[in-house]
Amino acid sequence: MTSPQLCRPWEHAWSRRRFLGTAAAATAAATAGLSGGLSDGLSGGGAAGLGPWLNPAIAGQVEQKRKQVVFIWLDGGMSQLESWDPKPGTLFGGPFRAIPTSVPGVHVSELLPKSARQMHHLAVVRSICTKDNSHSAGVARIQRGDPKNRGVTYPYFGSAVAKLLGPGPNNLPPYVWIKPGSGGFIHQDAGFLGPKFGALAFGDGKPPENMLRPESLTDADDDERNALRAAANRRYANRRRPTVNDASSYVYDTARTLMKRQDLFDTSKFDPKDVERYGTHELGRHMLQARKMLEAGVTFVKVNSYGWDTHGDNFNGHLSLACRFDQPFAALIEDLAAREMLDHTLVIAMSEFGRTPRINGHVGRDHWPEAWSVAMAGCGLKRGAVIGETNDVGTWVKSPEFDIGHLFHTWFRCLGIDSKKVEYDNRGQPLPLAHDDCQVIQDVLA
Amino acid sequence: MELAQLKSLEADPQLVLARFSPCGKWLLGASYDARVRRWEATADDWAEKPSIDGHGGWVTALAFAAAGERLYSGDSWGQLRCSNYAAAEKPAPLWSVPAAHDGWLREIAVSPDGARIATCGIDKRIRVWAAADGAKQLDFALGDGPAFVPRNGSLDGDAACLRFTADGKSLIVADLKGQIELWELDGLKRGRKFDAGVLFKYDRLQDVGGVRCLAVDAGFQWLAVGGTIPKNGGSVTGVPTALVFDFATGELKHTLSFGQTTDCYVSDLAFHPRGFLVATTCGTPGSGQLIVHKPGDKEPLFSTKKMANCQSVALHPDGERLAVVATNSGSNGNGRPLTKDGAYVTNRSPVVIWKLPA
Repeated sequence: MTSPQLCRPWEHAWSRRRFLGTAAAATAAATAGLSGGLSDGLSGGGAAGLGPWLNPAIAGQVEQKRKQVVFIWLDGGMSQLESWDPKPGTLFGGPFRAIPTSVPGVHVSELLPKSARQMHHLAVVRSICTKDNSHSAGVARIQRGDPKNRGVTYPYFGSAVAKLLGPGPNNLPPYVWIKPGSGGFIHQDAGFLGPKFGALAFGDGKPPENMLRPESLTDADDDERNALRAAANRRYANRRRPTVNDASSYVYDTARTLMKRQDLFDTSKFDPKDVERYGTHELGRHMLQARKMLEAGVTFVKVNSYGWDTHGDNFNGHLSLACRFDQPFAALIEDLAAREMLDHTLVIAMSEFGRTPRINGHVGRDHWPEAWSVAMAGCGLKRGAVIGETNDVGTWVKSPEFDIGHLFHTWFRCLGIDSKKVEYDNRGQPLPLAHDDCQVIQDVLA
Repeated sequence: MELAQLKSLEADPQLVLARFSPCGKWLLGASYDARVRRWEATADDWAEKPSIDGHGGWVTALAFAAAGERLYSGDSWGQLRCSNYAAAEKPAPLWSVPAAHDGWLREIAVSPDGARIATCGIDKRIRVWAAADGAKQLDFALGDGPAFVPRNGSLDGDAACLRFTADGKSLIVADLKGQIELWELDGLKRGRKFDAGVLFKYDRLQDVGGVRCLAVDAGFQWLAVGGTIPKNGGSVTGVPTALVFDFATGELKHTLSFGQTTDCYVSDLAFHPRGFLVATTCGTPGSGQLIVHKPGDKEPLFSTKKMANCQSVALHPDGERLAVVATNSGSNGNGRPLTKDGAYVTNRSPVVIWKLPA
């Protein structure tokens, strides 16, 4: 008997038909008034409109150059002791050494040799202290920013950025997610913002089956086909709330835009030197594709890596995991810096928590939200900075602690959004962008 | 067969492994705190003596000269040391090579004539040293030579275990991909292969498993390797498994499964002179076994789950005793488990001495 909690295979299968079908799902969700529907409302700013997606209220706060985000999610929990906050030779330090970085006096684990050479671009916060030590609650709690409970489901950071910054002039989807396994339109990420702001997920970096336009279909035929669809949409929209049609049209428009961007998906045409630099493994391919997406103008790219929950054999595990993160992460930072994209691209690499200092009998480390690290770069952050400090054995934070709410405020600030002034307008319910009691981490700002 | 528990020593913090000295009077433990712990046999007990200090990171490998009270120890920062393990006071090093490897030194093997020692490390190098003074004699990698076929990326050639053959002319080298090869040291020629690929899995981004321990019997009839048949990475689960090869032909003769996927790794192996294998397993926290199994038998001669997360097993030279490094119960837990007085403490290693029946 199949457990009702397990997803079924067809829930992961994705094709153009299924992708376009999500428009109907989005429409239905909006019609049913789920979690705030599709209200585009924000309040607190005041500037003229910059297109249908960028909300006029915050346009004035967004700097001239478009901000972008690449969010690298190491699902399960990277060990801070085997990465950004090593404590070699101490009680819980584990077997590995620390190595110097390109910033004098700053050391990271020997498992990150390439990232160490990019440290002068990075800002590492070592004083993260969060609340949740379970994956089931922690992943969503961290990615939604863990705001005060106001009876609504907050959006994931990607959805929030999609809402606040929009898709940009090329009309590519504003929030894409490159992940192992299957893809789909993940409307749940959007919370009360409504399904339109969900994540467009590319399973293993691949577009939906049959997404790319067949070569036999001419531009003229395609235009004619889409004109027909647009006409049908208008007829449909006339009998429904505008927001409903908005979601529906968004999915179709996104699909059309993507159909023209085969270059983002055809990895066989990626520069072999880049492929080698980023690594031929899954995360390397996906991080390289993330760079391509950023170059194409996607506002928010999330890249997931799974398998970091090293309760057993943590040290051999991190030997292979960390080096397969290190290689593409360092290449990405190097490339964004070389292209001067780091000035306007916020890079974040993190998990839902860190790992226990104490080493269990399975030679693993368990979940540890008490004192862990986040690595960031770009977009107004200091370069070559380490913020915060844990104690000598890495058990607790000894400088001021920062929760995920502090990070959300900081990230919004980097994106040119004053999260203390701008609010979501959830159908008349004003909602802060991030936890009311947290603030921007000033020390990490340039 | 029934084994009787004689004694339990305590090591805080944990040990990687423990070994008896060839004279049988000393039990030495490789510790997480860069020390080699020393216990000396008394009339009816074991008395702890000052540790051997000077290592970095974890002490990860111990090996003895057949005679002369010499201990070779290696650590996770790459240092190789030679000490007089039986010194009354804190032993000073006889010699040391601070950077024998670039990082984690995985194992040390001593040649049958005692003249040479071999080491392997995560720098993917295999090195042979003069036992007298630590002078480097040979340096090669599994990746050297045209016959090397890499699998799955960056850790290829990460040798984890090695032993000299009976004539001392070759090394048996096993890696974390489940590849085992003979290397003839004169001219560095590859020899026979043993396929332990079932002990490896590439799961998501992670190399899981590989050969974790290796033993040969006294007559070099059997080569046994231990590890897991991995199910997944991350927390790592898999069936603890020992593979027993005919050493002369390389043919796999026995596959010994020691439990369920939560039991995970065969963490250590030793051949008893009477022909049976002694093995320990280490799985999800709380699960560990000591197993005595004769290759070819369907069932083990003895097994116990009384000890949690067994990291190593050492046979006493008298053949009547063995020492198991285990882990305290309740070693795991998310969040901040604190003692009653609010301290956050390490886990410990009970070192349990067992008596084998005659």
